[in-house]
Amino acid sequence: MNLNVLIVDDSAVMRAMIRRTLGLCGIAVGEIHEAGNGVEALEQLGEHWVDLALLDVNMPVMDGEELLTRIRASEEWRALAVIIVSTESSDTRLARLRAHGVEIVHKPFTPEQLRNTILQVTGLTHAAATHERPAPSGDFDF
Amino acid sequence: MPQQPTNALLQAATSTFEALALLFPEPCSTEGVEFIPLSAAYSVTFHGAGTGRVVVGVTSGVLPALAENMLGAAAAPDAQLQRDALGEVANVVTGNVLPMVHGAAAVFRLDAPLAVTDAPFAPRDGEQRVALARVRMDEGDAVLAMFSGVAVETATDDTTLAGRA
Repeated sequence: MNLNVLIVDDSAVMRAMIRRTLGLCGIAVGEIHEAGNGVEALEQLGEHWVDLALLDVNMPVMDGEELLTRIRASEEWRALAVIIVSTESSDTRLARLRAHGVEIVHKPFTPEQLRNTILQVTGLTHAAATHERPAPSGDFDF
Repeated sequence: MPQQPTNALLQAATSTFEALALLFPEPCSTEGVEFIPLSAAYSVTFHGAGTGRVVVGVTSGVLPALAENMLGAAAAPDAQLQRDALGEVANVVTGNVLPMVHGAAAVFRLDAPLAVTDAPFAPRDGEQRVALARVRMDEGDAVLAMFSGVAVETATDDTTLAGRA
């Protein structure tokens, strides 16, 4: 399965970096869509099928917390797998976000951290998410 | 337990440069930092449990290495993209240093990074500098400062980061 991903961050550099990290972490990715704030993200969700959303918190126009509230209130998107990718470190705010059924990846992050969190929120196995074939069993016949 | 601001700034800078840009900084003396020729500096203002700014400036060798390691050499980051990458580093350093200094329960809102061209490590009217740190990497140096308080608005050369949507 190739995951269609929506990256929501007001920084074009961070969107590019997340896109690159997705490529490095070995997850099989289909389409990648980008949005610079929550309003743009809702537009993208209306236009494309998305399997996974990676959301920043601090954004202009509509921040990640409000976007998440709207996603969870939507009939169509309430079950969407969401990861918060942010510098946010406040326990208070993180607890509020986790109450929406999301996982958090704290900036700065490694490809391995992103991959493991993607597997966690999507429920995919490593093999299914990366298209890796299981190691053959038995003797090799050369 | 809250940390001393300079130690927190060094720790946030080290983890950010290492994880975000694969650069490996070591702390060094801050003597004469105001005379270091910087190629760019960015400031991130924070509001909430406290108010202030964090500034990150780098010498010329750091900027291209930073952008290439963050975005990939294939992206061939131009000068603006290199500066935007530094702005993002400043944003991540700020987000990481605040809970170290103010505690994990404190809630903050961060503004978009602004380029600073005029005396980046000097406090403005209404501000107090609470931390100053310098790190050295193979590619060059980075200087970081943390200010508390609200700067009195004056004519400034600061410009909002172009890469912000």
